Amino acid sequence: MDPSVLTTLKILLIGQSGVGKSCLLCRFTDDTFNVDNAVTIGVDFKMRKITVDNNNIKLALWDTAGQERFRTLTPNYYRDGQGAVLVYDVSNRDSFTCLETWINELNRYSTKSNIIKMVVGNKIDKERQVTREEGIAFARRHQTLFIETSAKTKEGVYMAFEELVRKIINTPSLWEKLEDANVVRCNDDHSVSEQKYCYC
Amino acid sequence: MDVEDVLGDVVTMEDLKKFEKEYHNQLTTGTVSQETKFHYAWCLVRSNYPADIRKGLILLEQLIKHEASDDDAKRNYLYYLALGNSRIKEYSTALQFIKAFLHMQPENIQAQNLLATIQKKMESDAHKGMAVAGALALGLSAVVGIGFALSKSLKK
Repeated sequence: MDPSVLTTLKILLIGQSGVGKSCLLCRFTDDTFNVDNAVTIGVDFKMRKITVDNNNIKLALWDTAGQERFRTLTPNYYRDGQGAVLVYDVSNRDSFTCLETWINELNRYSTKSNIIKMVVGNKIDKERQVTREEGIAFARRHQTLFIETSAKTKEGVYMAFEELVRKIINTPSLWEKLEDANVVRCNDDHSVSEQKYCYC
Repeated sequence: MDVEDVLGDVVTMEDLKKFEKEYHNQLTTGTVSQETKFHYAWCLVRSNYPADIRKGLILLEQLIKHEASDDDAKRNYLYYLALGNSRIKEYSTALQFIKAFLHMQPENIQAQNLLATIQKKMESDAHKGMAVAGALALGLSAVVGIGFALSKSLKK
């Protein structure tokens, strides 16, 4: 492995079909947006490097299909995930309501009990059916990070992944191997005080 | 080892066994649902064993014949037929399937990415092949050269 890379993290994208999981990922990895993006088949995979607080991190991003026909197999991808992005569409109340089911499924199948979860309300460029306050309340109840994004306008997208990664890196038990115990981490920036997200 | 692309996604033995059992249970009752067959095939094509992958490909071909009219289902099968074939290095077959997919839905990014991944693998395998052939040729010429030198020195 590249010695300059601190670690590789497994991140999952979860949520109802059509909420924009793949679009969030495309925006984050390739900075592109495709209006007529097709439904994901099974599980897609993308890789991206990110630098957070002077640490180079490799992200293995697993984009799971939201469609019913893949539901039996997608939870098998949750294992060993260190971070999960739970996505809903702020212009579709149904996608927010069923987030409860997705988070329960994640809790049931993930093998790391302290996996970092982030709730993401996507499509804020559209007319809302779900308020920001409702999103925050849900995140608080489930003790997850929270952010609102628009894959279309880019708003919040990079920050969402950056914040998730920062939180994982600040939880060494999630990723540090025993032989890595002598690795020096440069997390001098603990003053996480951005306005856009909140840790509930 | 880290996964580098979608072809590096390997099924766990636990999953493979679970869906295999389900499939065989249905086989004994006489009717296997398309869903069960697909789940098992999806596991098989992500196995590390070529024999499993080949079995998965046979199931997918059966499925695609059976559901030729359902475009959504057909694309799923084409995608995994391409993925399975490239995992056993049957690249030209893999390309045929992913191109058939893109013919149905040219703008599908996931399929475009798989096409690019297959082409990249093909290229790197071809380079490896050329390197091996090159090394062999070099070794052969060295042997011939030594033989030639020896025969000359013996003649002296």
